Amino acid sequence: MIKTFRNRRTALLYIVPALLLILFFVFLPIVLNLYNSLFRWNSFDAGRTFVGLKYYVRLFQDPVFLIALKNNSLYAIISLVFQVGGGLIIAAILEDKLIRRFQPFFRTVFFIPSVISIAVVGLLWQLLYNPEVGLVNGALKAIGQAEWGRSWLGDSEVAIYAVVAVSQWQYTGYMAMLFLIAMQKIPLEYYEAAMIDGASKIKTFFNITVPQIKEMLLVGSVITVIGAFKVFDEVYIMTFGGPGRSTEVLGTMLYRAAFRNDEMGYASTIGTVVFVITLVLSLIQMKLGKSGQEV
Amino acid sequence: MKMKAKLLLVVMLIMSLVVAGCSSSSSNEEESGKVVLKFLHKWPQPEFAPYFEEVVKEFEKQNPDIKIKMEAIADEPIKDKLRVILGGNEVPDIMFSWSGEFARKFVRADAALDLTPYLNEDAAWKDGFIPASLQPFSSNGKNYGIPLRFNGKFFIYNKEIFEKYHLEAPKTWDEFLDVLETLKKGGETPLILGNQSPWAAIHYLTGLNQKMVAQDVRMKDYNPASGEFTDPGYVKAMEMFADLNKKGYFMKNVNSSSHDMAKQLFFAGKGAIFYVELEEFPDADKNMKGNWGFFPMPDITEGKGSQKYITGAPDGFIVSSKTKHPDEAIKFLKFLTSKDNALKLVKQIGWPSPIDGATNPDTALKEVAEGVEYMKQAEGMAEWLDTDVHAKVADVYLSNIQLLLDGSKSPDKIIKEVQDVAKQVKSEVE
Repeated sequence: MIKTFRNRRTALLYIVPALLLILFFVFLPIVLNLYNSLFRWNSFDAGRTFVGLKYYVRLFQDPVFLIALKNNSLYAIISLVFQVGGGLIIAAILEDKLIRRFQPFFRTVFFIPSVISIAVVGLLWQLLYNPEVGLVNGALKAIGQAEWGRSWLGDSEVAIYAVVAVSQWQYTGYMAMLFLIAMQKIPLEYYEAAMIDGASKIKTFFNITVPQIKEMLLVGSVITVIGAFKVFDEVYIMTFGGPGRSTEVLGTMLYRAAFRNDEMGYASTIGTVVFVITLVLSLIQMKLGKSGQEV
Repeated sequence: MKMKAKLLLVVMLIMSLVVAGCSSSSSNEEESGKVVLKFLHKWPQPEFAPYFEEVVKEFEKQNPDIKIKMEAIADEPIKDKLRVILGGNEVPDIMFSWSGEFARKFVRADAALDLTPYLNEDAAWKDGFIPASLQPFSSNGKNYGIPLRFNGKFFIYNKEIFEKYHLEAPKTWDEFLDVLETLKKGGETPLILGNQSPWAAIHYLTGLNQKMVAQDVRMKDYNPASGEFTDPGYVKAMEMFADLNKKGYFMKNVNSSSHDMAKQLFFAGKGAIFYVELEEFPDADKNMKGNWGFFPMPDITEGKGSQKYITGAPDGFIVSSKTKHPDEAIKFLKFLTSKDNALKLVKQIGWPSPIDGATNPDTALKEVAEGVEYMKQAEGMAEWLDTDVHAKVADVYLSNIQLLLDGSKSPDKIIKEVQDVAKQVKSEVE
């Protein structure tokens, strides 16, 4: 009796520090943010005015909010196709017997973009996209398709795709790496059995590889989608939401409200909405993934 | 092996503690009896920073009991950073600010110290400034800022190209359009503009708004508490700017070229006219060696605003209302704006100084001195539109001007948005 009591106390002792940290640094800010979104205030003025749910009403009527949601969704969908889909294909090709001995080389090449800091990547691509001296238009010219050239980041119709493309360039290799690791854990016997049965490579891929790394695929998808709704730095550096508001995402919209327009309350409102969106996405992931045995 | 790893971990832990300990002790020099002033400006560039370092060093030599802790943050980031630090506990005693509404919002929040008594106390200091440079920093008749530079906006042109087509600097907007048309027909790029950061195009609109809209109406609209923007002049001003674009006078890819890139194009002779600030004149002269001239924004005959205004504004410093050492802060500002240091500013980095007589043909580039003369003669200054109206109104102007240039939004639609946000702002500012 006493022993279990003491055990519980010891257990509690171990839990409390982490619990306190999480309470202070995760849960308290969330609650505070919710509270802050009910006031009109800015960072340098001590006074604040209670406005109730006015900012929520305004947010849902704000045309920029729709643009941002659309851009974030675009980010999520394109990233799913290229990072998860493309990464999976790259991983499968690299795992193929014929290419495997070059694997370390390609693995490094594909992985390099993801270790470069985002600030550098943003500036780098700003240069590459430059319509006059940039490599992108230069390359199009070289293959005789100069008319495809655009003012990539300066044209409100294509700018968002140009920004999304940079993320694909940066993270597809990273995803491929995750899938490679998962694939290397698949027992070789499965493939041997499939070979004896005369299964084609494509069939093997869909019937052995994909089901075996299902868990990792799910994790990868969730990381990508949640990441797409939290994206900020790439957009901030390359376009800051422009031209006009055409590349605005929730992150830059929040930043603009907080630090350019002095509307901390509105920024908190946007923050709360981003939190709800990512929370729902995470819940769906937990439901689908059930346990999360891997990772 | 395991032992080694553990040892390494312990060493690293101790090191990090030592480093952390050092940093906190060194930042606390106040204990040594010195007054520490925190000074924030916006010129980290290697060509400008040495000026500030030298002035600070000289000041510390003359005032051994004052220590200046200087920090510099570049133009774009300081707009955000100022707002954040003013809300924290480590507010700099002296910090950079643009004049106009940008400074006034800090005044409204009681974050800026009223400098009027200090200026009145020392008449010699106050009278040293060109009056038009102090005025934009005032609010309700009180002074909140001390100008460091007095900046104006002018068109500079490539003399060689102008001579090729027998052109002269235009005096009226119609002449200006004629010049542009001639240049375009001749196959030149008439206007260079880098609008990746949209303030570049907003500077055009700063002057156009001022020239098109009557002064009292414009001032009422720029005031957040009474702004309406219903005068037809605002739409017309924007249409005139849009026309320049529609007629193909601007260079290609304005929205994806930065102002610096555009500047290089102009210096390389790839365009005829470029809209720049006075502070960029020395740079132009260095790169074009006399092959350039300048003119202010041409008069618009049918405009309702005064045609004798110059676009531009002073920028300088405000003092935090939370400072513990206001007297020392003023002392430093006086030193910074003393005639000697103003002369040094003009000579060393070629900026136009707000100190009367400091920017003259002996100290400055001939053109800079002429530019300052224009501003002294002017009836008033049209301050930068993006710092002279409420931040939210400015944001609508800034983000939409790019869409105007890529043709996806019309002037009346943009002004409608400006009116809507002005109404919203009006309801929020008491």
